[in-house]
Amino acid sequence: MGTFVTLIINGLAQGALIFLMASGLSIILGMMGVVNFSHGTLFLWGGYSYVWSYYAIRFSVVMRLFPDAVPLTRFGSILTIRGVQLPPDAALPFVVELGIFLAALAFAVVLVFALGYVFEKLFISRVYGNIPAQILITLGIQVVFTDLVRVIWGPNPFPIERPPFLNGVTAFGGARIVHYNVFLIIVGAVIAVVIHRVLTRSKVGMVIRAGLQNPDHVRAIGINIRGYFSLVFACGAALAGLGGALYMPLVGNVVSTAGMSNQILAFIVVVVGGLGSFMGSALGSVFLGLMGVAIAMLIPGLSVVANVLVMALVLIFKPDGLFGLAVKKHG
Amino acid sequence: MDKLKAIGTINIRKTAALAALLALFLIIPHYMRNAQLIMFSRVFILAVYGMSYDILRGYTGFINLGQAIFFGSGVYLGVIFLNMQNNLGSFVLALGAVILFSAAGGFLLSRIVLRTGGVVAAAMVTLAIGEIVRNIAERWRSVTGGQDGLPLRFSRVALDPLFSTRVGGYYFSLAFMLVMLLILRAFILSPTGRVLMSIRENEQRARFLGYQTNRYKTIALIVSSIAAGLSGVFFAVIARFANTDYLSIQYTLNALLITLVGGTGTLYGAIIGSFFVTWIQTFLLDLNRSFPGFTLFRYPMLFVGSFYILLVMFMPSGIMGGIYRLADWYRSWKTKRVT
Repeated sequence: MGTFVTLIINGLAQGALIFLMASGLSIILGMMGVVNFSHGTLFLWGGYSYVWSYYAIRFSVVMRLFPDAVPLTRFGSILTIRGVQLPPDAALPFVVELGIFLAALAFAVVLVFALGYVFEKLFISRVYGNIPAQILITLGIQVVFTDLVRVIWGPNPFPIERPPFLNGVTAFGGARIVHYNVFLIIVGAVIAVVIHRVLTRSKVGMVIRAGLQNPDHVRAIGINIRGYFSLVFACGAALAGLGGALYMPLVGNVVSTAGMSNQILAFIVVVVGGLGSFMGSALGSVFLGLMGVAIAMLIPGLSVVANVLVMALVLIFKPDGLFGLAVKKHG
Repeated sequence: MDKLKAIGTINIRKTAALAALLALFLIIPHYMRNAQLIMFSRVFILAVYGMSYDILRGYTGFINLGQAIFFGSGVYLGVIFLNMQNNLGSFVLALGAVILFSAAGGFLLSRIVLRTGGVVAAAMVTLAIGEIVRNIAERWRSVTGGQDGLPLRFSRVALDPLFSTRVGGYYFSLAFMLVMLLILRAFILSPTGRVLMSIRENEQRARFLGYQTNRYKTIALIVSSIAAGLSGVFFAVIARFANTDYLSIQYTLNALLITLVGGTGTLYGAIIGSFFVTWIQTFLLDLNRSFPGFTLFRYPMLFVGSFYILLVMFMPSGIMGGIYRLADWYRSWKTKRVT
């Protein structure tokens, strides 16, 4: 029973992370008909910029409060990441730690939002309606900006730590509950509810839903749908950035290939859940997260291929996605 | 239709020009240094790889982001078979194995990918499958050697002088390219190829005419996979090395770049594209070597990728497309002057 609870929580946490990636991808695909192959690199930028700003802020705060704190080894290239060892009996107050964490998250999200906005304005707005060109351009962006991450922060992986107040494990019955996983589930659920409310209850959401069905009519009413496109794209990017920022402390190891591997997970979710459907990608993320954890536990040898196998089976037997929710527009 | 004519007609001036070009390519290797010989051999083989991609992208409009699976597997099969026994027999065996593997892989891929029909889903799915294959290869270190790779244990005795000298390798790859060019050209000009072109222009109409478009796409996918796999085996002989990079998205991007530079749907364009891409990459590698201080040069994909984005944005029909457009313009200008 204990293991079961642990598994469920781990799986849901994974699902929440994948959801942050996949929902942005899915809304962009559904509304704009744009396949964003640079989503992984936005994820990566979110992750690296979070790690960098978190460590930079924390370093300067700690050095100011405790002059006798010891700086640790430096990682990185042009920009460096440097941890700090607090004096033996000292600790930062909870409020300060929370502030540093939130500031770093905000920095990452805002940066990636801006990046997404620039991508949309510079590249993607030129190739609306030309799906092959979109795929090719966003793929190029993916490669260039992933290498740019390696130039800025160095190509080698390095370890990082979770914020102290999220770094703990509670034994509950037989289950080991990792606090960070619970935090991820809460964030994922909150974001899902917020997106759902925005999509169904607000005017912006109404325009987006209408745009999903028929962009021409929306334009005919006199709404500047291009503006909404930029906004949606940048928000999707920001979600990916948030996903990346939350992913890095989870795995505790910053690797520059994480962008591509997570992008592929998100693609699988989008295909499995039905192309362009928000609900589909939400359900698909939870499904994939739980399945991944279960397979890693039961048949570890299969864990690499399991996701792709599921995707292949879904495509062969249910091409509209597992939940039959595909937005039928982009043939 | 214009493109069709450009490929289909034979005229004397063109033939003479091609013969002269061929003679040039037969003579120059004797005046080249080893590094240049290797570069040209790579150009020829990657041209075939580009052509294999062109069959898909240029003639069916299908974007396969897992093309490197076949190329990389070809390289691996080549190295593995030649490591077992370095002679003509095992080379032919490697070719046979790669044809079987690619045909089966292409068929399987078509079963998965063509179900949904869309370009979007196909691109996403092939990217995912390609990355997973690379991932598996990276974990299966006992066979693939992972990132560190698998060198070709090379003996000078076998198949002298083709495998052992660089000049031999040059002729070897030139011959391979010419043979593949003829085969693929025949495929494009065959009735099947014409149906593929009609699918690219208007799939719905082709279906209304009674063609089972998915069957033709499957054929194209299999032919393209086999060509990519074969080019991989020949590449193994030139590179004398295999690692998982050959399976990665980077090599798919190379194929895309080659066809994009040359122009999609031209087949010959792949040769120009391959020359250009290989030259740029060699150039960047040299730059990296001569300026070890600049970290920027350690990432050739930064430059290649930026170039590629610019190409997609501003020159979508590539160099060959540009030449065709110029020729059209020149012809219309001439007729205008006459009348």
